[in-house]
Amino acid sequence: MNVVPPALSRLIADLNRLPGIGMKTATRLALHILRRPASEAQSLARDLGELHRSIRLCSGCFAFAETDPCGICKDSERDGGLVCVVEESADLMAIEKTGAFKGKYHILHGVLSPMDGIGPEEIKADALLERIRNQQVREVLIATSSTVPGEATAAYLIKRLQEEAAVKVTRLACGIPMGMDIKYADELTLSRAIESRKDTCS
Amino acid sequence: MSLQQGLAIVLQVKDHGDSDKIVTLYTLEYGKIVLIAKGAKRSKKRFVNKLELFSLLAIHFAPSRHSSLMRLDQADLLNPFPRLRENYERYIAASLLCELVLHWTREHDCDEELFRLLVWALEGLALAGGAVNRTIIFFHVKMLDILGYRPDLTGCLDCGVLGAPGVVYRFSTMRNGLVCSRCESQATGNTSQPLSIQTIQLLRRAQDMEQGKLERLHFSPAATREAVALLKRYDNHLLQREVQSWSFLG
Ligand SMILES: [Zn+2]
Ligand SMILES: [Zn+2]
Repeated sequence: MNVVPPALSRLIADLNRLPGIGMKTATRLALHILRRPASEAQSLARDLGELHRSIRLCSGCFAFAETDPCGICKDSERDGGLVCVVEESADLMAIEKTGAFKGKYHILHGVLSPMDGIGPEEIKADALLERIRNQQVREVLIATSSTVPGEATAAYLIKRLQEEAAVKVTRLACGIPMGMDIKYADELTLSRAIESRKDTCS
Repeated sequence: MSLQQGLAIVLQVKDHGDSDKIVTLYTLEYGKIVLIAKGAKRSKKRFVNKLELFSLLAIHFAPSRHSSLMRLDQADLLNPFPRLRENYERYIAASLLCELVLHWTREHDCDEELFRLLVWALEGLALAGGAVNRTIIFFHVKMLDILGYRPDLTGCLDCGVLGAPGVVYRFSTMRNGLVCSRCESQATGNTSQPLSIQTIQLLRRAQDMEQGKLERLHFSPAATREAVALLKRYDNHLLQREVQSWSFLG
């Protein structure tokens, strides 16, 4: 006999589809929502319902935004000659938090992953190249992760940018984390840090 | 419970929740195994840089009491094959090798020879100037041999002849061998691309050749295309699924 009311079990199944949410967590979240006032559940439902209606992809940088172009692409204070390429929106947010970057972005929404059927088309590589060629971009900063797919994606983009666009291509420096004693760094990190060493008089 | 140790190649890495990773490894000692690496997404020390595709690791792991997933306890990086991520073509090739092993093997089915073949092929791909497609074809042919799925390329399955003048040879995935145009009935409907005698002979030599002598094989662009198409079709037929990396191979 099924003891869970259908409406509750549907919500549990919905939550269970979210990344990182197992059956146990989904059940706990659903029961939590049920125990809270109905107004909170209605507000959550409204926000979810609005999501696809009000948020779209910026046609310039492919960021999620309520307007097209997005706030960053529209901002005339920002340097349109410098474009930072990131894997996903969360990476853009992380870089924005530093306040250290004043250029614009391009969001790939993924990395090249042959096993998952993700190739250049899926990460909108052509759109990036077209933008670089058409918009007088001086420099492209590739800021993909230092994972294998992130680095392979960077290698692919760097090659195409160098071959098909007259633009300076830079890569986020990869090295010793702040506050780390170098003798505890692994060999790969240490050798990359040496490769991307910096002139001290600049 | 005591820890088990082994040598492993990372075949697949998936995020699991906010802080863990699920890794699929092909190991020397236990075949394909799936492990959970607790805290791997967040931890700055324990697994950083190690649970990366294609890497050769020395691992320590423990069976978990609460779930069927075994827990990865420690991983030491023996070879990260950095060149496989610095070039898109090599990255696709290495992904293909790992995807093949992922789909062609069962969990806990140990095969020392296949492990060594995989390490050898990844090393070959990482070499400068290594012929990528040749390594893939050779790896695939040898893998089929090791797993007991050697396609029969000795001659037409019906008349036994190979290389009769004016005769076209096609590979039948249903019958796991060659059928010539004289014996082929219309009813079988084998519409695959014909294989040239040159390609058939190259594949046969690869079946019987030792790894170290690979550079003696020279696949022309046409033979490479034919061999790749054949192996791809063979995978689809026997695995009943698509091996995705094939479609990105240049
Ligand atoms: Zn934008
Ligand atoms: Zn025949």
